[in-house]
Amino acid sequence: MAKLFAAIDVGSYELNMGIYEFGQGEMKIIDTVNYRLDLGTDSYTKGRLPVDKVEELCRILREFVRIMKGYHVTEYKAYGTSAIRETRNTRILLDQIEQRTGIHVDPISNSEQRFLDYKSVASKGKDFSKTIEKSTAIVDIGGGSMQISLFDKDKLNVTQNMMLGILRLQESLMELDASPGKYDELLEEMIGSQLSVFEKLYLSDRKIENLIIVDDYVSPITWNRTKDSDNPGFVTANRFMAFFERIREMNPDEFCRRYSIARENLGQVYIAATLIRSVARSMDVKTIWAPGVTLTDGIAYEYGERKKLIVIDHDFEGDIIACARSLSRRYMGDDKRSQTLENICMTIFDSMKKVTGLSKRDKLLLRIATILHGCGRYISMYNLAQSSYDIIMATEIIGLSETEKEIIAGVVKYDHAYIDYDIETTPTGNLGKEVYMRVAKLSAILRIAGALDKSHKQKFNDIKAKLQDDTLVITVRTNKDITLEKGVLAGRADYFEEIFCVRPVINQIAKI
Amino acid sequence: MTKVSLDDPVNYWNRELSWVEFDRRVLSEAKDKSIPLLERLKFLSISASNLDEFFMIRVASLKDMDNAGFKKPDISGMTPREQLKALSVATHELVTEQYNIYKKLAAELKKAGITILKPTDSLTTGQKEFVDRFFEDYVYPVLTPMAVDSSRPFPLIRNKTLNIGALVSNKTDNKKEIEFVTVQVPGVLPRMVEIPGTKNGRILIPLECVIARNFGRLFLNYDILSTCVFRIMRNADLEIDEDEAEDLLKEIEKQVKKRQWGEAIRLEVENEVDPRLLDRLKSELMIKKDEIYDIDGPLDLTFLMKLYGIDGMDGYRAVENEPNPVVELPESEIIFDSIRKGDILVHHPYQSFEPVVRFVRTASKDPKVLAIKQTLYRVSGNSPIIAALADAAENGKQVTVLVELKARFDEENNIVWAKKLEQAGCHVIYGLVGLKTHSKITLVVRMEEDGIRRYVHLGTGNYNDSTAKRYTDVGLFTCKESYGEDATALFNMLSGYSEPATWNRLSVAPLWLKDRFLYLIGRETEHALVGRSAHIIAKMNSLCDPDIIRALYEASNAGVKIELIVRGICCLKVGIPGVSENITVRSIVGDYLEHSRIFYFENNKKPEFYCGSADWMPRNLERRVEVLFPVEEEALKNKLKHILDTELRDTVKAHILTEDGTYVKHSKSGKKINSQEQFYAEAVAEVRKAGLKDKEADVAVTRRFIPEEHK
Repeated sequence: MAKLFAAIDVGSYELNMGIYEFGQGEMKIIDTVNYRLDLGTDSYTKGRLPVDKVEELCRILREFVRIMKGYHVTEYKAYGTSAIRETRNTRILLDQIEQRTGIHVDPISNSEQRFLDYKSVASKGKDFSKTIEKSTAIVDIGGGSMQISLFDKDKLNVTQNMMLGILRLQESLMELDASPGKYDELLEEMIGSQLSVFEKLYLSDRKIENLIIVDDYVSPITWNRTKDSDNPGFVTANRFMAFFERIREMNPDEFCRRYSIARENLGQVYIAATLIRSVARSMDVKTIWAPGVTLTDGIAYEYGERKKLIVIDHDFEGDIIACARSLSRRYMGDDKRSQTLENICMTIFDSMKKVTGLSKRDKLLLRIATILHGCGRYISMYNLAQSSYDIIMATEIIGLSETEKEIIAGVVKYDHAYIDYDIETTPTGNLGKEVYMRVAKLSAILRIAGALDKSHKQKFNDIKAKLQDDTLVITVRTNKDITLEKGVLAGRADYFEEIFCVRPVINQIAKI
Repeated sequence: MTKVSLDDPVNYWNRELSWVEFDRRVLSEAKDKSIPLLERLKFLSISASNLDEFFMIRVASLKDMDNAGFKKPDISGMTPREQLKALSVATHELVTEQYNIYKKLAAELKKAGITILKPTDSLTTGQKEFVDRFFEDYVYPVLTPMAVDSSRPFPLIRNKTLNIGALVSNKTDNKKEIEFVTVQVPGVLPRMVEIPGTKNGRILIPLECVIARNFGRLFLNYDILSTCVFRIMRNADLEIDEDEAEDLLKEIEKQVKKRQWGEAIRLEVENEVDPRLLDRLKSELMIKKDEIYDIDGPLDLTFLMKLYGIDGMDGYRAVENEPNPVVELPESEIIFDSIRKGDILVHHPYQSFEPVVRFVRTASKDPKVLAIKQTLYRVSGNSPIIAALADAAENGKQVTVLVELKARFDEENNIVWAKKLEQAGCHVIYGLVGLKTHSKITLVVRMEEDGIRRYVHLGTGNYNDSTAKRYTDVGLFTCKESYGEDATALFNMLSGYSEPATWNRLSVAPLWLKDRFLYLIGRETEHALVGRSAHIIAKMNSLCDPDIIRALYEASNAGVKIELIVRGICCLKVGIPGVSENITVRSIVGDYLEHSRIFYFENNKKPEFYCGSADWMPRNLERRVEVLFPVEEEALKNKLKHILDTELRDTVKAHILTEDGTYVKHSKSGKKINSQEQFYAEAVAEVRKAGLKDKEADVAVTRRFIPEEHK
């Protein structure tokens, strides 16, 4: 029997719900309901939602509950994006919503949201796999910002957020009080200044062929115009440029009629098209693909992935790791050392599985911590712990929540400094005991790994670990002198033992 | 042909005058001697009730425009005032024709044994006694005589009611001042009173004659100087400002109550009325000379519809053809299983509406059904569909019903249904602000072994089991995913959610439907321009959208063959050189009311067929939620083509539009083809061929009649 799932997106200007059916390893959308409600304006400017907006929001969510019941939906996931995230009273608001509607809404960070958008593109299966075979970029345009992500082969490895959202640009144009005749020029300038930095950083040595667009304005038009073709959603860059020229040249009413768009959305269509054109031109892409996906597709896809309800070829964790590696390189990270640390950490993590209480997701966070652990050196050799922490906290890592990013930053920090017993004084103190313990446990593992590669000479490549009662026996096959590592380990083993009640010891086997 | 000439008003008929032509075609059926007498009376009655509604809606609207000083010409170049003037002439002629026919039919009725007495007819002593006793016992108690003087203002004369006005003078008043009095002929009593005990057939006396004979008894101290039966028609165009109405239901209830208070726009009086009495009515009702209709016969011929059912006259009625079972939807099989075998097209009333009711009824009980969604525009009294929907809600199904409160003249009815459904636990929605929901669609969501499957019924007619026996409509049952997705999206849209990014199969007005039609017509034009054969056949109730007509003219000029089957209003002109030489228009007015909308586009030998709820009228294409759906399976396309072809070959009930705007019937020579009879015979043959039980296939003998519907 098929399973039904509801994905809810409490967005900045729209509430969306998708009902999805999972069966025979596939995901199928059954129903979508979208309701226009501007939460963003109040949230961004006043930091809270007025009572009438909350009322309306709850009314629609109750309607969503009714629709879910109609389909006999058993599980749902609801996320609140920037409008929810940026309220000052987020927790009070979410509690109110849950009390009044029964819907538990989780706020979602920009990077998580973008990653879900990316997953929604991936949910398109064959078209996605085929597209990313060639060098590809995704431009994901939201109300407040735009995210550009680049693929290296079939792995996502660069992702950058830019404050170039449609509503933000629209507001800027209004503030400038310029005549519509100058909009073109002004937009080009506003977009160009940020895009040129991106070009210098990432595009100088790449050739991008395909551009995937995720947005609410141009994508539906593209989809509508191509739905009956052999390749729905795909257009050549030249065709897109011709479309853009038509927006500029055609009478607005005529344009709206021809492209079946509401007159009040024309401004947003124009800005979205300008953004896409700028990105497409800066990369000189050949093909543009508008898969016509939404955040709810991504939410459902992630649910299906987590519950193993769908068959997934793509390695999404690999994308997050690839992005972290790319970030590390940007801060002159030492790839070889990172890999050694990663190898040791993963070995220890796996061997300690029974006693740590850590999850698969924690393993991923530890991996990323090993990749980024030395990034602070880029700023200061002396104040390494704090510098690393600051860099990680100031950088967006796609696919991770703010809390997860703080855990990584904390783990990296306590790799270089002692953890404070007073939870309140730690950087993650506000996130509670559970997060504190995860940081403590992961940093304990990372510190052991750091000790085992203290010399940065990768002496411990062939390593095994086995938990024997209250001892973790780390067996290394090497003929090299590991006196330094043994000495450092002895000092750090106390901390490891304090956390896990397990003492790490080294057992060296010489290679013959 | 240049752009200017196609837009020239000279190329278009005025829609109101075209409507009068339609009513004339209905009336022409009353003249047709090949039709049984009571059927002819019924057509006469229909033409009268049609005209009443026409006045209340269309004439009233023109008057509003004229009163507001609105001078913008219509598609045919006529200002509201010019239209009113022309209509006055046309409707006076029509009414004269109605009463000429009435007199002939009354004479024939007399031969058949039923006499309807005229006011001037004398009664025997026995008859007088009966009539006066009837007055005393039944009529007098329900009368409310009203006098008008300085202390009593002119009373409210209710819309469409029959009244008797009189001039009287007080017997004790030496000055003999003339006063006006009036009394309403009570609607609670039958209009025709049968006088019993006559040997030479049955005698009916109109109620107003009964009252008029006894008028003196209502005003005992007065001398009755003259009496006159009269009737007025008031403006009934119901406009609701939805933006301002906090509660749509309440607002409509209020408007319904207000309806009878509108401005008087038509006065019917018995001919040879006392000029003083007429002057009084004219001044009190503020009515102009050309709005007065002298009637040579009983006012308000709609009473003939009641007469139709008179007992003992079976030989004067047509035999009704009972709808046939649908072979593809046998009662012995679960309807969802039948639909899964392939799309099914049903042609009403030749085929029964029962499967549509069964579709909802089965869904209401089926444990696998999760939800039912349906639009209801006009439903019958005691609608089995309403009952099934209520059952479904009580059985735990999620039921969403769009009740269109704004269906003209049905508002009160619809409010009752809406409340009933809400009480049963249905989610009742009232459509979109400013747009009537005219689409006819039902969606059943079912959880099956392999997941969710959606079953959709799309129709050209309302979900009304009663009218489905009298209107010709087509309906499609399908469970194709593309239709199901669109149906889901449509209901979401009607519930106030955003429109979907794309539609798979459906074209929805007022969003994209007109563009779709223009595209389809334009595509034929392009085919013709490059020398391919191009052909459009379109069947609908009315055609008056200027953009569509213009596109048809362009197509005609390009060489597209265009055959239109338009029952009612048609603003398109045929046979204009350089404009519409390739266009023919025919109207079928028969036993059943032609109601289906079917569209055929040849599309370079890859024909496309569409059906839908919308006529080619601006109100359908721009101010209503309408749905156009394609019919894609080859067998069903053939079925639709057969319907169109047969109607194009009809020589009995088809009226052909001529260049001067009149409609003429086929010459009587040649083979007689009555498309409606042929469809029925084919439906019977299909059932027999399928070997269904006699019980199911038998033709029952019951009444049939054409209902009124007027656009």
